[in-house]
Amino acid sequence: MQKPVKPKTEQQRLSALFNTGLLDTEPELRFDRLTHLAQLCLDTEIVLVSLIDSDRQWFKSRQGLDACETHRDISFCGHTILGDGIFEIPDAQVDNRFTNNPLVLGAPFIRFYAGVPLSINGVNIGTLCFIDSKPRQFTDKERQIATEFGKTIEQEIQDRLQEHAHEILAAREQMYRSVLEGTRIGTWQWNVQTGDTVLNERWADIMGYTLAELEPVSVDTWLNLLHPDDVADSDAQLEAHLNGKAPFYDIKCRMKHKQGHYVWVHDRGKVVSYTADGQPLMMFGTHADITQQQLSEIALLHSRDELYKLTQQLPGVVYQYQSWPDGRSAFPYASTAIEEIYGVTPEEVRHDATNAFAKIHPDDLGLLVDSIERSLETLNLWELEYRIIANNDSFKWLSGRATPERMPDGSTLWHGYIQDITQTKEHYLKLEELNQQLNVAQQSLDLASEQAQIGYWQASLKQGTLWWSPMIYQIFGLNEQDFSPSVSLFKRAVHPDDVSKVEQSEDQARITGIHNVIHRIIRPNGEVRWVHELGQLVSEDKNPELIMIGSVQDITDRMKLQKIKDDFISTVSHELRTPLTSINGALTLLQSGKIVSLPEKAQKLMDIASSNCLQLSRLINDLLDIEKLAAGKMLFEMKPLNVPPLLQRALNDHQPYADLHNIILELQYASQINDMRIYVDEHRLLQILTNFLSNAVKFSPQNGQVTLSASVIGDQIEIAVQDQGCGISDDFKSRIFEKFSQADASSSKVKGGTGLGLALCKELTEAMHGKIGFNSNLEQGARFYVRFALTN
Amino acid sequence: MQLENILHVEDDESIRVIVDMALVDLSGYTLVSCDGGKSALTQIDQFTPDLILLDAMMPSMDGLQTLIELRKKPHCQHIPVVFMTARIQQSEQQEYLDAGAVAVIEKPFDPMSLGNQLATIYQTYIAAADNHSSE
Repeated sequence: MQKPVKPKTEQQRLSALFNTGLLDTEPELRFDRLTHLAQLCLDTEIVLVSLIDSDRQWFKSRQGLDACETHRDISFCGHTILGDGIFEIPDAQVDNRFTNNPLVLGAPFIRFYAGVPLSINGVNIGTLCFIDSKPRQFTDKERQIATEFGKTIEQEIQDRLQEHAHEILAAREQMYRSVLEGTRIGTWQWNVQTGDTVLNERWADIMGYTLAELEPVSVDTWLNLLHPDDVADSDAQLEAHLNGKAPFYDIKCRMKHKQGHYVWVHDRGKVVSYTADGQPLMMFGTHADITQQQLSEIALLHSRDELYKLTQQLPGVVYQYQSWPDGRSAFPYASTAIEEIYGVTPEEVRHDATNAFAKIHPDDLGLLVDSIERSLETLNLWELEYRIIANNDSFKWLSGRATPERMPDGSTLWHGYIQDITQTKEHYLKLEELNQQLNVAQQSLDLASEQAQIGYWQASLKQGTLWWSPMIYQIFGLNEQDFSPSVSLFKRAVHPDDVSKVEQSEDQARITGIHNVIHRIIRPNGEVRWVHELGQLVSEDKNPELIMIGSVQDITDRMKLQKIKDDFISTVSHELRTPLTSINGALTLLQSGKIVSLPEKAQKLMDIASSNCLQLSRLINDLLDIEKLAAGKMLFEMKPLNVPPLLQRALNDHQPYADLHNIILELQYASQINDMRIYVDEHRLLQILTNFLSNAVKFSPQNGQVTLSASVIGDQIEIAVQDQGCGISDDFKSRIFEKFSQADASSSKVKGGTGLGLALCKELTEAMHGKIGFNSNLEQGARFYVRFALTN
Repeated sequence: MQLENILHVEDDESIRVIVDMALVDLSGYTLVSCDGGKSALTQIDQFTPDLILLDAMMPSMDGLQTLIELRKKPHCQHIPVVFMTARIQQSEQQEYLDAGAVAVIEKPFDPMSLGNQLATIYQTYIAAADNHSSE
C-alpha cells in the first residue's frame, strides 16, 4: 500500500480548510442534497464530501457510508488532493497502491474510486468522491458530471462562508445599533450627491419630535432646525471635511426644539463612500444631545469670569507659581494686580518668573529664595514679608502666603496671594519706633523719678487696680516685695493730723478731677516725711477704663528749707522793721514840729531822712509781699468791688506826691462803670494802682499830666494809668515785669524805686485772675493797665 | 468811757520813747511803760490800765506768754490788749487775735496817728462789750 504524501502547500491548505469552518460540524442539507443527487446521477454506492485534515479525512456529507472519518494514510482522497483533475481508480485490487489497503481488504471493500478535488482559494481542501465495491470506469460524460458536482460543492462552501460572514455582520450591526440606542445618540446618513437623508428616531427625539412629524426628511430638515448663527460655522466645518482638511465633520451647534428653545447638539460625521470619479457620496454621522454638558461648560466659563472679576477686585495678586526641578520657574496664572505689586504683566511672567524676581530687594532676595526652597521641600505653607524695589527706587513691603502642591512632572505649584503691606508695615515700624521712644521716655521718667524723689502710680477706677512705681515704696519706707499697693496701705501711712486735709483734697478731686495736696506720712519706722501728692483723671473721651494717674513726691527736704526760709523772712522782717519803727517814729515826731520845733536846715535834713526811711520801709514791704506770694501765703479778700471810689482814693493818696513834682492828676471813667463790679481784693488793687501812679508821677516831666482811667472792654474793666514821660525803651519792654528790673541802673537813684513794684503788680494781678499790660511809645509816654472780669 | 490809762510793754527802749511821746505828749494819755513781760506783771498790780499795748517779740517772755499770764490775774481778764508786731504774715497776726488780742498794729507804725488809732480800737471794744452785756 502506498500512503498519500503531503502536498507542498500543506500549511496553506490546512489554513484554508480551517477557515471554511466545516470540520466537525453537523451534516447540512445543502451538501447532503447534492451528494444524494450525485449518487443518483452516477449510480455509485457511496458519495462523500471528504475534507483532508492533517491526520484524517472527515466527511462533511456522506451517502452510503456510516463512518464519518478514516485515517489520512489509508485514504484515497489523500491522493486526489495532490493533483488538479479527477483521480480515478477502476479496480483497487489490481492497483498496487491500494491492493492491501484496509478499505479495500475490508468494508467498504473499495474497488472503484473517483475523486474530484475541492479547491478553495487555490488550494485543495478535500474531495467529492464516488466509491463502488465492483470495478468500474466512468465515461467521459460521467466524469464531466462528477466534476460539475465538485464545482457545485465548492460554490456551496463559498456560499456558506458568505452567509456566515453576513450573519456575523448582521449581529455586529445589531450590537452597534443597541449601543447607539443605549447612548441616546441620533444617527444620520446623507447622500452628498442626491441630498437624500436618513435620520433615526433618536435624532428627531433630541429636538422633541417624532421622526414621522419631520417627514418628508431631507437635508433641509436639518438646516431648518439649525440656529441661524451656527449655519456659517457648520458650512465651514463641512467644507473643511469634504476638502480633506479635517478628518471629521465636527460641530457643536444649537438646534431649535419643538417647544421653541434651543438645545445644544454635537454632530460628528464622515464621508464613508465616494463616487467612481472620487466625489464624496455617502456621509454617516452621529447627533448627540450635549445641552447639559454645554450648559455646564457655559456655567463653568461664567464662574471663571466671576472668579476673574473677583481677583481683579482684590488689592493683591492671586497667583500660581510653579517651580521645576531644572530650576525654571513661572507664574502660570496671575491676576492683573501683579502689575501693581511687581510691576510686571501676567504675560511677562507666564513662562518665566525671572522678571518678577529681578524686582526683589537685594537684602531680602536670599530670604525669599530660602523660604521658597523650604516650602518646596516640606510642602508646608509659604509665608513671608519682604521688600521689592518700586520704580522710583523706593521700596514696597509685601506679604505673601501660598500653599504648595507637588505636580506629576515633579514640579511644585503654589496657589497663593501677595499683597502690598507697605502702609501697615510703615505703621508697624512707626509703632516700633514709638515704642522705642516710649522706652526711652520711661527710662528718663524712672531716672527723673529717682533724682527728684517722685514716685508715680496708676489706678483703674473701673477695674479697681492700682500700680505703684518703685519710688513710692521707697518714699513710704516699704519693701516692694512685702507689700502690694492698695489704697488702705496708703491711707494708713497718712499722718493723723493730715487725714482730713487729704480727704478734703479727694473730695475736691471728684469735682475738679485734680487731686493736689501736701501732707505728712509716717513710715513704719516712725519717721515723719512730707509728701506732695498730685493726681488726675486721664481725660474722659480717651479713658474708658477710668484711668487715674498721679505722683507722690517726697518734699521733706523742701519743707525743711521752706521752714528755714519762713523763719528767715520772719526774722528779717522783725529785725529790720523794729529799728525802722524807731527811726521812722522818731523822724515823724520831730518832723511834725509838735514835740520840738527845728531850725530850717535841720528841718530839711529831717525831710531827707524821713523820705529815705519811707523808701526803705516800702522796699522791705515789697520784698516780703513777693516772698509771701511766691510761698502762696498771701491771703486775698476777694469781693465784688465798685471801682470809682477806689480810683478816687488812689488819686487822693497821691495828690501830695504829685503836687510835690508839679504833676496834674486826672481821673476819667464812663458813668456806666458806677453800676459795675469786679471781683478783687480792694487792698491789693489799691497797692497796684499806687505802684502805677507813683511810677507815672516819677517819670513825668515837670507840669506833666497823669491820667487814671477806667473803661469797659468786652466783659472786662480796664483800669489804666497814662503818663507823659519818655515811654519805655524797646530793650526794656521784655523784662519790665521782672524782679529788680529798672530801665537803667541810674534811675533808681534818681527816682527812688525798688525795682520790685511792677513785678509785684504782675503777681498780684494774676493772683486775682486779672491781666496786666502796658502800651508805650517814646513820644506819648507809658500806659499801664490791669483788666479784671466783670462780676454780677 | 474814754481811753485814759495805757500800759505799754516793749523791750526796745527807742520804741518805748517814741510811743511815750506819741501817746503822752501828742495825745495826752497816762502811760506806764515796761521793758518786758515780767515787769508788766508786777506793774499791773499797782496800775490798772484801760488798754494794754503789747509787743509781740520780746526776749525771755514774749507777748503771747505775757498775755496768758496777765489774763490769769482776775482784774486783768477784761482789759483789751493790742499787739504790736513787725511780723506781717497774716498767720502770725491771726495767732494773736486767736489768743485774745483785740487788734494788731504793724510796725513801723505812724506815731502821729497812734493815739487816735488806739482810741478807735478802744471805743470799738467798749461798744462790743456793751452789746455783749446787754444781750
